[in-house]
Amino acid sequence: MPMIAVSAGDMAWNKTGAWRTQRPIYEDKTPPCSAACPAGNDIVKFIQKIEKEDFEGAWNIIKEESPFPGVCGRVCFHPCESKCNRGSFDEPIAIHALERFVADFGYGLNKKTAKLEEKNKEKVAIIGSGPAGMSCAYHLARLDYDVTVFESLPFAGGMLRLGIPSYRLPRDVLDRELSDIEALGVKIRTGVTLGEDIRLEDLKDHQAVFISTGAHKSRGLQIPGEREKGVLSGLDLLKRINLRKKVQLGDKIAVIGGGNTAMDVARSVIRMGKKATVLYRRSREEMPAFDEEILEALEEGVKIRYLVNPLRIGQKDGLKRIECLRMELGEKDESGRRRPIPIPNSNFRIDVDHVIVATGEEIEVSFLPEGLEKREGILLTRRDGSTGIKGIFAGGDLTSNQRTVAHAIGSGKKAAMAIDAFFKGKDPDVIFQNLIGEGPSLSIFNYLHPAERVRNPHVVAFEELNMDYFEPAKRQGESKISVKERIKGFKEVSSTLSEGVALEEAGRCFNCGTCNECEVCYVFCPDASILKREGLFSHQVDYDYCKGCGICFTECPRGAISLKEEEK
Amino acid sequence: MPQRSDLSQRGGEMKRVITGNQAVAYGVILSRVDVVSAYPITPQTTIVEELSELIASGRLKTKFLKVESEHSAMAALIGASTGGVRCFTATSSHGLAYMHEMLHWASGARLPIVMVNVNRAIGPPWNIWSDQSDSVSQRDTGWIQLYCENNQEVLDTIIQAYLIAETVKLPVMVVLDAFVLSHTAEPVEVPSIEEVDAFLPPFCADYAIDTQEPRAYSVITTPDYFMEFRYKIQKAMEEVPEVAKKVDDEFKARFGRGYGSIERYGKDEAEVLLMTSGTVTSTSRIVIKKLMEKGLSVAGVKMKRFRPFPSDEIYEVIQGAKKIAVIDRNLSAGVGGIFSQELRASLYLREQRPPVFGFVSGLGGRDITPELIEEAIQYTIENDRPKDEIVWLGLKR
Repeated sequence: MPMIAVSAGDMAWNKTGAWRTQRPIYEDKTPPCSAACPAGNDIVKFIQKIEKEDFEGAWNIIKEESPFPGVCGRVCFHPCESKCNRGSFDEPIAIHALERFVADFGYGLNKKTAKLEEKNKEKVAIIGSGPAGMSCAYHLARLDYDVTVFESLPFAGGMLRLGIPSYRLPRDVLDRELSDIEALGVKIRTGVTLGEDIRLEDLKDHQAVFISTGAHKSRGLQIPGEREKGVLSGLDLLKRINLRKKVQLGDKIAVIGGGNTAMDVARSVIRMGKKATVLYRRSREEMPAFDEEILEALEEGVKIRYLVNPLRIGQKDGLKRIECLRMELGEKDESGRRRPIPIPNSNFRIDVDHVIVATGEEIEVSFLPEGLEKREGILLTRRDGSTGIKGIFAGGDLTSNQRTVAHAIGSGKKAAMAIDAFFKGKDPDVIFQNLIGEGPSLSIFNYLHPAERVRNPHVVAFEELNMDYFEPAKRQGESKISVKERIKGFKEVSSTLSEGVALEEAGRCFNCGTCNECEVCYVFCPDASILKREGLFSHQVDYDYCKGCGICFTECPRGAISLKEEEK
Repeated sequence: MPQRSDLSQRGGEMKRVITGNQAVAYGVILSRVDVVSAYPITPQTTIVEELSELIASGRLKTKFLKVESEHSAMAALIGASTGGVRCFTATSSHGLAYMHEMLHWASGARLPIVMVNVNRAIGPPWNIWSDQSDSVSQRDTGWIQLYCENNQEVLDTIIQAYLIAETVKLPVMVVLDAFVLSHTAEPVEVPSIEEVDAFLPPFCADYAIDTQEPRAYSVITTPDYFMEFRYKIQKAMEEVPEVAKKVDDEFKARFGRGYGSIERYGKDEAEVLLMTSGTVTSTSRIVIKKLMEKGLSVAGVKMKRFRPFPSDEIYEVIQGAKKIAVIDRNLSAGVGGIFSQELRASLYLREQRPPVFGFVSGLGGRDITPELIEEAIQYTIENDRPKDEIVWLGLKR
């Protein structure tokens, strides 16, 4: 007789799994960051690679979905962070800073993106070398299509080069991301304008065309005096500065508008040693510019006058005189922002050397062939980016009012998937089987490797996480150079995270809905029924013995385990 | 608090002025405990505080399991100990009572867990001071119980307790008085970790859990076999006197300090013996010395081990005594002090059966002063047998 009441032999024959009425399942769900990323980045996966100090692996994961981590890590408005579940706990993860860290690490190693498929013979023409066009070119080139990009300017990059000042996006960052795309075999023909140098009919030997010419025409104010000398378009000014052309401005500059272009203009003007005052007709709350941009502008000495609407621009003693009306906020309008209402008899004047109008851009449509439909300021496309003409696709700012770099990148990727499906004779809807969460972003990695990244579209809510496993930790951001240093020139304002800080920040990530091998389930399982295996999921449940108690599901800090009723 | 590496001083012990609770923590660190699980209760709290802080700071590589109750603390250790690692917990009073069910489980499963109980009264009325009612209430749970007199003995007993527990496969409760020891600092020799390592080998479980070869533990056992498992526990208890003696002798050889299960002091061939446990013994030593100088025929008996009850060891040291006075700092209402009751029972079948005077005193932490102890001895000298089953000492009537 043994000392205690213990079975003499192995009890493995007793398959206690037969008692189970519910089964835990390892199942990656969609984290809110990925669901919110217009470019469709697999954020949690690249952060996991950072956590494991596999920075190259992180680079590879980002590059599966986007050719522009260096750009996005710097200029994206990071909607991923606004949706980050950590924001409900302390502060969101600095995802943009991590993306930037990974990008800079990869380029530091001179990494080049690899091709995926070979010997696709079709030729594709892409009109416009902005983020949408280059993203489309990148993904098609990875699939080994013969891609030529036509760009009317002497440089590739579109709005990334023309519209974004180098203190936010240094040119070498842009250049290395563009050269990674070119290295895949993409041909870029600069100085070729559609409608002038070539027509769509000239591209007949291309089996598909992607039009991504952007929105470059200044919308203007529609007020008297705006066409006179001394009144410039914000985008034109930025183009001149960014193309290093000579710009002569007086000392006092008024910038009209509240968007990112207005901020970019004002901050650029400050860097040229001038005084900049922004006039905006609503309040700070309604400003469409990113918060960080506004903050940095204010730090640098930009003055913002809110609730001011210019009525006309006149002339006085060699200065431009802007007559304005004060506004107050009324009810919300269709954009969800409070509508500005003029206060009668509140007129006043501002005298400046130059007036710069930055109130938004419109698309140029004169070159577009018949058969393409335009409505409400954009070119209409189907959901997949295809147009009324077979083989012609369009995307980017041209086809959407959500005009951000990330949206453009996502739109170019979607077109690349649609063009691939088109060439391969697939149902155009097939690409929408790869929505991230409920969409609208798509994963091209899913499209190409459907078995390797299986994700439940359910977007993980904060309430589904187990906060017992997390402690408050301060968000780590990029450091910035001093204001004094900033306004001296166009040096980049913020710096890339150091390795240590990046590791710390990545360590804050909840890994919502995604197993990161924390082993909590393994430790808690009372039946030792968590198996560690090679494969799609690093952990599996041993259903021979799992009694379905659900402790793993309850304890999992990140909602990566689902509990489902057993089928009878 | 130091960590293990701080306690590495080859070639000598050093004295530190530490409280009883700190002495417990030192003992735990030196015994290379793998898992600690505990729930705070006055006056035990600072033991767990010391250990958990060391563990949280990463300086002590021991796993601390946070739990929501004493019942869970013991349950967690039952799991860990079954897994084959050395375990520790500490509690007091209501916390110990709350563990009751799991105490039976630990001994029934033959797990060599060591626990410290800081003696404290059980309410109501609410009371946090020294009283043995909590530990004596658990006398039937199959745990070995060792009572300590001073902080040095506390530290030494923890280390000894692991060796005893792991030899006979039974859990050990090390008991010390609330505040009088737990919160009072005394100079204590702290042995070096190397010396303790040489004394206490790593724990090796007989039936450690192996996930590759899973077994069923503590399975339902029919009347055909249940009694035999209980018999084995009794047999293990019967091994304790010899094992404890060997452990204590070995300890004394290495560290120069030994305690025995029973210690007799004072006059040889004395007529009246005074039996005490815990810190009352320290006070009694002074009283006995004083009365001997006055020419009285008195001696003291310190009872360190209460379970298994040291019947033979006691019988050996009481030879020739005419009367025995026992001071109990506990009360089993309806009977009297537990130590005196058990002593009477153990003498019943013996040839020599001196009358046992059962004094109850110091409940709820009231001081058992030298005057009270002297009063007990005088009462014993003056009376042939006790007038009552319980003689109340220092009671306000």
